Amino acid sequence: MSSNMSDKKWDSVLRSMDRREFIRTSVGAGLAMFAPRFASAQSGKPYKLGLLLPVTGTGANYADGAIKAVMNATAEINSRGGFLGKHLIEVNYRDTHTKPDVAAREARDVINRENVQTVVGTYSSACAMAIQEIIHEQKILHLAATSNSSKIVNENYTPYTYQFCPNSRMQSGSVVVAVAEMIKKNGWKSYATIGQDYEWGRQTQSGFVEALGKASSSVELKKELWFKLGETQFASYISALMAAKPDFVYGAIAGKDNRTFIQQAKAQGMFKRISYPGGLISVTELQQQRKSIPRGMIGLARAPFFAHLDQPLMQKYIKMHRAKHGEDAYPTDWAVMHYDAIYGLEQAINKAGSIATEAIKTALKGATIDTCRGRATFRDCNNQLNIPAGYVGAVKDHPDYPFPIYDLDTMIIVKAEDVWVPTCGDVQKLQKKRA
Amino acid sequence: MELDLNLVLSQLLAGVSRAMVLFLLASGLSLIFGVMNILNFAHATMWLLGGYITFSLYEGMGGEGPLLLMIAIIGGTIVMAALGALTERFLIRRMYDRELPEQLLLTFALLLIVGDIIKIIWGVEDRSVYLDIEALEVGGTFINPYYFVIIAVGIAVAAGLWWFLQKTRYGRIVRAAVYNRDMVSALGIRIPLIYMGVFALGVAIAGFAAGVFLPLMPMALGVDIDLIVQCFAVVVIGGFGSILGTFVGSLLVGVVYAFSILIWPDGALAVVFLIVVAVLMWRPWGLFGTELRY
Repeated sequence: MSSNMSDKKWDSVLRSMDRREFIRTSVGAGLAMFAPRFASAQSGKPYKLGLLLPVTGTGANYADGAIKAVMNATAEINSRGGFLGKHLIEVNYRDTHTKPDVAAREARDVINRENVQTVVGTYSSACAMAIQEIIHEQKILHLAATSNSSKIVNENYTPYTYQFCPNSRMQSGSVVVAVAEMIKKNGWKSYATIGQDYEWGRQTQSGFVEALGKASSSVELKKELWFKLGETQFASYISALMAAKPDFVYGAIAGKDNRTFIQQAKAQGMFKRISYPGGLISVTELQQQRKSIPRGMIGLARAPFFAHLDQPLMQKYIKMHRAKHGEDAYPTDWAVMHYDAIYGLEQAINKAGSIATEAIKTALKGATIDTCRGRATFRDCNNQLNIPAGYVGAVKDHPDYPFPIYDLDTMIIVKAEDVWVPTCGDVQKLQKKRA
Repeated sequence: MELDLNLVLSQLLAGVSRAMVLFLLASGLSLIFGVMNILNFAHATMWLLGGYITFSLYEGMGGEGPLLLMIAIIGGTIVMAALGALTERFLIRRMYDRELPEQLLLTFALLLIVGDIIKIIWGVEDRSVYLDIEALEVGGTFINPYYFVIIAVGIAVAAGLWWFLQKTRYGRIVRAAVYNRDMVSALGIRIPLIYMGVFALGVAIAGFAAGVFLPLMPMALGVDIDLIVQCFAVVVIGGFGSILGTFVGSLLVGVVYAFSILIWPDGALAVVFLIVVAVLMWRPWGLFGTELRY
């Protein structure tokens, strides 16, 4: 691997990762699924998995890596004969268009028509919550690997959903840990927020404001701005933020909108005057904006591979990913979380010794599993995995990678238990809605 | 909030640049409807396709610097003009005598087909061009200098379209065809060729606009749907078929939206669509449209 890799070559890596590799991976997964079927006389009935992710809309930018991760992981498991060595995995993929109505329609269809036993996905908490209504009614397992509104495991809790990513409350809390330190250090007095006007954006922003209010009560919220999903022109918002003259801005922005906002805010000079700590800067942003992303900017990631290079499962996954997608390809946060979800499911099936949904659900309850982010345990009262809540760090070039990563010397990794809803009693109060 | 002069100016600039983005997209839509009576629902998707093509041309040439970007934009515009001509020849031409709902269905199908073609060719990741744009400090505030490029391009396209339609022989024929295509045809002028040229021009402007926007925002699946709704708002306010109306409608939407964000951020979009509702109620043919066209 070369740190001086040319931009053109890197662009071709990114491009080849989505179209050609996706097709190759899909075909590979398909072949891997069918090959052992003829090889083994012991084959049991296939295990049907529904994969609901958007390849259209603001979430499409993240779904590519996630789809590849699921295809690669299932192909690898199928090459061993499938779950329990005899149940080949069949992946039924559906595009949610990042729209809750489409997500709900596709979830219902994939459950009723394809008889899937588990639904993996989706991007956008609003979509995930729409799916939850259906999986709860149909008693189907739901592995939420990306959508992370805290409502998914609290207010909208169902025992059929297992959360593999840090929820929005945990994420906001981890940014607060870092920002509170910066407030002390820099003497900041005020801030403004900007967020996507939908479930996740609102939850993330309110979680941040609430947690920051407790951690640094003297800092004043001067302005809140909300924009519709898919916004293309941020100039007016950026001017309004700069006019409010806050010391820092907190952004609850993800997906394509995040890239557009950072690109336009940089060109409009916002980062010269106002700090922007804790905005989502996952491996996707680091790769795609490798040239333009301001070095030194403090970002938040959900599951960056570079934070867990010591973990055996992460090492195995990176090796697999690079073998399939090229020496310079590294898995995104979204890929890591989906990879963990598939292997988490496999570990539960091995523990249960069965592919029956209720047996897997029971095996997952409070289970400790191996993940790319280390060993982690599902919280008994809401099925939230206690993986790190957030990774906050400064963007910095690194000689080993063709894109910047976080400064590993100063990166803060916040523990789930430090920032999630403190007690199970508190969680149960929030869960009253469905009860 | 204190409205000092710097803030008013920077918000005005933001609003005008937003307006020009909308104008560049809506002008082709309005031109095609004005001349051909075709409501092209797939117009923004053609814009998106133009963006992806320009991106590929730019990357294919090495992907460095504004000069190569300009060459790629010209290439993308030519490709889109050719695609527009082909689309008119093989699809749109069959719809001239059909009812509006059928036209809308066809162009909606085109939107889905082009969207899937983009997905197959370019995948689902966003595509954008990085130019190292440094913010300009003007009167104590920072401004993105690329907004001046967008505004200049918008004004140039508006002036070019006006000159073409008002001052050239071909433009006069196009205008004549709007009012009486049979009479124009009786004069020996081939109407299908005129229509093909107009459709190709409309799509070419969309392709050109997409190339110009590439350093400002990424091309991504789904963006077209968001933009087409705003474009319809612009042409409803300005009047379908009126380039001047589209220009004024874009300015109105862009500037009102920009200042609403300062004063009433939660209702910014609602304010724009309140204007649309008001126009539809009191002047359904738009501010600069004619009752004849309506």
